[in-house]
Amino acid sequence: MDFFSFVEGPLLWLAFLIFIIGSLIRAAMFLSVSTKKDKIIYQHFSWKYVFATLVRWILPLNKDLAKNPVFSILGYIFHICLIIVPIWYASHITLWEESRFEWSWSSIPDEMADWMTLIFLAIVIFFLLRRIFSADIRLISTFSDYLLLIVTALPFLTGYFLTHGTLDSIGFLGDNMQLLHMLSAELMLILIPFTKLSHYILFFFSRGASGVEFGRRGYSI
Amino acid sequence: MSQEIMEFLKPRMGARFRMWLNICAHCGLCANTCHYYTANDNDPKMIPSYKVRFLKEILRKKGKVDKDYLQRVYDTVYYECNMCRRCTLYCPFAIDIALMISLLRALLFSQGIAPEGLVKAIENYKEFGNQMAVTDEDWVETVKWCEEEMAEELEGLKIPIDKKGAKMLYTVNAREPMFYPQDMMEVAKIFHVAGEDYTYCSKPGWDDTNLSMFCGDLKTSRMIVENTFKRADELEVEQVAITE
Repeated sequence: MDFFSFVEGPLLWLAFLIFIIGSLIRAAMFLSVSTKKDKIIYQHFSWKYVFATLVRWILPLNKDLAKNPVFSILGYIFHICLIIVPIWYASHITLWEESRFEWSWSSIPDEMADWMTLIFLAIVIFFLLRRIFSADIRLISTFSDYLLLIVTALPFLTGYFLTHGTLDSIGFLGDNMQLLHMLSAELMLILIPFTKLSHYILFFFSRGASGVEFGRRGYSI
Repeated sequence: MSQEIMEFLKPRMGARFRMWLNICAHCGLCANTCHYYTANDNDPKMIPSYKVRFLKEILRKKGKVDKDYLQRVYDTVYYECNMCRRCTLYCPFAIDIALMISLLRALLFSQGIAPEGLVKAIENYKEFGNQMAVTDEDWVETVKWCEEEMAEELEGLKIPIDKKGAKMLYTVNAREPMFYPQDMMEVAKIFHVAGEDYTYCSKPGWDDTNLSMFCGDLKTSRMIVENTFKRADELEVEQVAITE
């Protein structure tokens, strides 16, 4: 098996498995430790507050919109692009159809995926510059903050190069763009459970836990 | 010392603390929600997310930190945060910074580092049940004296003590019998004219301050609250009211 087949086969499987199982373990660990050491959440548990706080923060209905409108709105657009493009991009769906699962669902137009990718990358650059040039954000940034921003951007960047043949004239990059695209996406998937990217699932637990307490006390949630 | 620090932290590191240290994206949205940040010309060192870096560092170093380090932690957790929780209201992940600051204060307290005034107050709570070291006899005497003083002004005014079945148990700040008994007198006047059915209690539980909370000394904190609840149960009141 050559390297390409390895990356598009076993490594992809491994990446997805680490991503899914790792995420489940993170969630299970939170639940098992919290039932012993964070009993206050369960003593006062209320689906009402959990639901309310999740709706307000998944949708742009929260306090940050007024306080930091630019960053909040860019944050929302960033996440919308991040979720929609990989899942509903037509060529990705074709791969699912051809796979052993034969799953299929409708796609977004390619042009839209293009625009969303460009918008996403522009926001990444903004976030990166903000981390570098804002004294505030520079102080609280760690190495992994920079690394993970780049890791998250790479699949989009390589994906754009791949579909548009932007770098095809450059020998190595032109020949291996698909490989780089898969590798970068696999790297991101593998890192998710072990880094702050795990917030994609822990967001729900964190907001829920604080929502229960703050809601009960009558604070804004 | 490192062993003691870890022994203190380990059982207290709940799932939420671990999760919060892990997922904080360092986005900086908490910065301008902090009044220490805005009051210090937007000093980046006042960003709430930055202030809790100590907890992460202490865990990473497995508690191997020196006195100087703990002194720096002290300066931050006591003088750069008053645990108001406003940052949490604006954090997309609702990370409870104040709770982590409280844990750090508790850690320092366990290592004998805390503001002198608070340490003295905690000793008083433990010995007398109130922060000002007022004895039960002095307390009852003060209430009776307030009653006598006020009865001259408003005829028939009574300040009930240990009145079983009253509607509410009224509690004060221990500074009132100590330094500001006139506050208690004013309240007695209002209650009398309003015809409110209330009572003081003679035994510990009448001080509604809870300064041990500020050191993260949850054991004493709990004792103080339990005292008040015990009195409320004994006197079979419906409500507990606290002073302004």
